[in-house]
Amino acid sequence: MSVTSPLRRKLPVAGAILAAFALTLTACSSGSGSVPGETSGSEQTDATSSVFENAPVAADELIIPDSTMAKIKERGKLIVGEALDAPLLSQQDPANPDDVSGFDADLAKLLAIYILGEPNVEIVPPASETREALLANGTVDVVFNTYTITEERATQISFAGPYFSSGLAVAVKSDNTDIKGIEDLGGKTVIVGANTPAVIAVPEEQPTAELVDFATDPQAVQALLQGRGDAYVQDYTLLASDAAANDKLKVVGQPFTSEPYGIGLKHDDADFKEFINNWLLEIQEGGQWGEAWKTTLGTVVDSEIPTPPAIGSVPGS
Amino acid sequence: MNILMENFGLLLEALGTTLLMAVVAGIGSLILGVLVTVARVSPIPILRAAAFGYVQFFINVPLLALLLLAVFALPDAGLILPLLPTAIIVLTFYEAAYVAEAVRSGVNTVGVGQIEAARALGLSLGQSLRLVVIPQSLRAVVQPLGNVMIALAMNTALAAVVGVVELTSRVNKVNLVYAQPIEIFTAAGLVYMAIALAIGLATGWVERNVAIVR
Repeated sequence: MSVTSPLRRKLPVAGAILAAFALTLTACSSGSGSVPGETSGSEQTDATSSVFENAPVAADELIIPDSTMAKIKERGKLIVGEALDAPLLSQQDPANPDDVSGFDADLAKLLAIYILGEPNVEIVPPASETREALLANGTVDVVFNTYTITEERATQISFAGPYFSSGLAVAVKSDNTDIKGIEDLGGKTVIVGANTPAVIAVPEEQPTAELVDFATDPQAVQALLQGRGDAYVQDYTLLASDAAANDKLKVVGQPFTSEPYGIGLKHDDADFKEFINNWLLEIQEGGQWGEAWKTTLGTVVDSEIPTPPAIGSVPGS
Repeated sequence: MNILMENFGLLLEALGTTLLMAVVAGIGSLILGVLVTVARVSPIPILRAAAFGYVQFFINVPLLALLLLAVFALPDAGLILPLLPTAIIVLTFYEAAYVAEAVRSGVNTVGVGQIEAARALGLSLGQSLRLVVIPQSLRAVVQPLGNVMIALAMNTALAAVVGVVELTSRVNKVNLVYAQPIEIFTAAGLVYMAIALAIGLATGWVERNVAIVR
């Protein structure tokens, strides 16, 4: 009863492992097919550079000695908590890891230019659940991460902004004609992104809806198309980009919430918050804000550049 | 502590799901793992090769990849199961490979003389495996099996990624509302620690009672 295995048995095993990896790869590629903006990559780079032309730089007297901005300037780089896998908002180019593009990413670079004079950004990808801790312990200077301003969060950290206002909308399979918006989701199985505002907002609107959450947007889209749920609730712009990339999916109805996104800062750093709010006003007036929107989120929505939300207009900001 | 009290019902329900997954997949993987070991040490070449392939496949592919494959690739092949059973089945198959490896090391502790004696007494192959080899090898590997069970209990957290609302997924949701990651995740960590400790203590108790004194 020997249990050692002769070498020759390893060959079929290698085959099985290869097959498994091939399967895994196929699964991945079918998911990333829904990433928008892939075809217009070169155009976007050209357009993006215009965002940074003439970007404002803070006057020296605004960098108060011993303040957070002074420390960042001394360090020579801005450490930002932002995602690497959010299409149109902050997505890393897999072929060129230094190239992170999207609305959040562009604003982070603009802020770095404002403080340092050059877009020198170090990215620390936060999980949604660690953003407050990363800010509190000083791992990152700011968070640009579709960070919805809420009063609960504002007791832990401070929010500058809001710098953008979005909302949740409903997507269904193209052949579904029963669901026309959030009001039709009672008793239905609803797919949401894990740790997105939808996890809280859907039960508030439809207490009888059953939630299933998936970690990433491509997974949620896949799950919807495979029939694991009747509808998918997610940020309107993200859904619009999914629908633009995949005609098996459509967005129904109008956004049913208003999600004000803020820039996360360490709690009670009033000087830094005022500094960032002033910067936001400057890039909104200077046109860089609109330009950043147009080259990212604006590519999937048929509308003019929206009016940015008023600074401090939301409880918690 | 208030946050935990306010969400006590939901958290308890999620803990129930975690324990259900750990217990069902645990029992399943122990049974399947022993069967794989039997195939692995049997004198039939095809069975041995199949068992070897099984173990190598599941030990060398990450559990997360297996979960994502089962949840997102199988429906494309026309096989769609609810999320919780899918996760339990994947966990069972995955951990069975580790159980099989642990039990196999136990089989190696059974003396050749024992097997020769069993055959000399006229026991068939099945009888000698069932009555002589497997009971002794299981007794020898109680502690390693306990470690596999602890790893399994921790691995249930990965099911959160594919939409199963177990403890990790639930505390994520609670944290989303309250934004108190340190308090909430420390509490969840302590619960996982308690589960691991319980399995560890149970394993120690079983081992003291079944160990073979040599």
